[in-house]
Amino acid sequence: MRRWGLTRGDSVVLLLAFILVAGLYVKYWHSDGHGAETLVLLDGKPWARLNLFHDHDLVVPGPLGESHIQVRDGQVRFTASPCANKLCVHTGWLKQGGEVAICLPNRVSLQILASDPRFDAINF
Amino acid sequence: MIDAFFRLILLFAVVFLTACSPKPTVHHEQLLVFGTVVDIKLWGVEAPEAQRLITQLAEDFEYMHRSWHAWHAGPLGRVNALLLEGKTFTAVPSIMPLVERSSELSLLSGGLFNPAIGKLIALWGFASDKPPKGPPPSDVAIRAILEQRPSMSDVYLEGLQMRGKNPALKLDFGAFAKGYAVDRAIEFLQEAGIKNAVVNAGGDLRAIGRHGERPWRIGIRHPRQAGILASVEVEGDESVFTSGDYERYFDWEGKRYDHIIDPRTGYPAKGLSSVTVFAQQADLADAAATALFVAGPKEEDWLPVARAMGITGVMLVDEEGGIQITPSIQERLYFEPGPESGSEATAPSGIRVSQPLMIKPVNVNPVNVKPPNVNPPMSTPVGKSADSQTL
Repeated sequence: MRRWGLTRGDSVVLLLAFILVAGLYVKYWHSDGHGAETLVLLDGKPWARLNLFHDHDLVVPGPLGESHIQVRDGQVRFTASPCANKLCVHTGWLKQGGEVAICLPNRVSLQILASDPRFDAINF
Repeated sequence: MIDAFFRLILLFAVVFLTACSPKPTVHHEQLLVFGTVVDIKLWGVEAPEAQRLITQLAEDFEYMHRSWHAWHAGPLGRVNALLLEGKTFTAVPSIMPLVERSSELSLLSGGLFNPAIGKLIALWGFASDKPPKGPPPSDVAIRAILEQRPSMSDVYLEGLQMRGKNPALKLDFGAFAKGYAVDRAIEFLQEAGIKNAVVNAGGDLRAIGRHGERPWRIGIRHPRQAGILASVEVEGDESVFTSGDYERYFDWEGKRYDHIIDPRTGYPAKGLSSVTVFAQQADLADAAATALFVAGPKEEDWLPVARAMGITGVMLVDEEGGIQITPSIQERLYFEPGPESGSEATAPSGIRVSQPLMIKPVNVNPVNVKPPNVNPPMSTPVGKSADSQTL
């Protein structure tokens, strides 16, 4: 059977292609405010950019010593820092676009990147 | 028929490719200046122009940092030394506007915001690059300063002439300089024709305009746990400032001593873990956040201070996690779910969103108080300025 010049097989292929594209859109493009990447800055300059969907353990050499950063399950956090009050470590997991964690003494910061971030700025 | 099909495909392609055309974006820069991280976002500004403005802002912040630093050598240090001598001297231009504006705000706050207690702050060890480790100062040492009642009225300023009238006087603008600097940064951007921007200095911010089609989205960090406590949309011109006991503190023999010193007792203010203030002017929001933190969690204590300072938007979180909010921001705040409720942070129904905190709306004017707003969508209409509302 032909409709619009397409065979039944063509229609099935088009349908599957449409479902695939829609699925990829939802998985990788649709923005619910969560971030897909984290930007690590040292001294205010980009130092690393990490995909949040792959596990990473990163050591950033700041002026005070090593800041340890962990990525798991779409989230990122400081796990250890040479600073005194450990405010960066206490900030905990970040996952939503626009969330930040900062170690001012060691001049290392993390921010979650997203196409349409949940937050433009964090007040604390 | 096949032509019709491809025409349809072409039509879709045109529509979707148009949607993919470049659109104005946010220019984002993070600066390590002013002794903190200053995060600047400019919307709809060409990259070279944005870069030029941000470079200028970085220089301005550095200048303000050097001029107003409470314990590094510089203009404020010289002024403090001259005030201590008690003789008349020619005022330092970079310090004069801070003295004038902070005196005005100190008076409005009934002295709860008091930049004249620099000696007390230093006595507690908070006037230092390194966080104090304790022990806390002796009661005798605290009383020795307190009995001399240093206040901004001890600063004589007439024209260019300045004189200190109290040997216990030492200016420390730590609870005010950030707000004053953010105001100057926003003024600079507005004079340069920028209409949409956020200047966030170490977590305290002022936002003007919008993020394109939508307002700016601000997250307010939880004072006691990881993550965001509440979010709010801001547009027009508004500042959001928070004072918290988690910013600078030390623990000694199982007790926490935070950096916000109550000028009435000489000891760290107790009862609250954070105060968030919404106001147009950042310097007012900064001073008010400190004054309300010092006033404490009792409504009869903090409310008159907020009224006197002309503040309409306040959220207080006490040490037990109880929240008080004023009606003017009640409908604008969206309380984020705790970690136990998973990632469904923006669920519009909100039924699954667990709000572990007791929320107590404060009814300043005798009008009906609605229950706390735990789940409005982010598109809740926002007032142009909290200052234009009544409490």
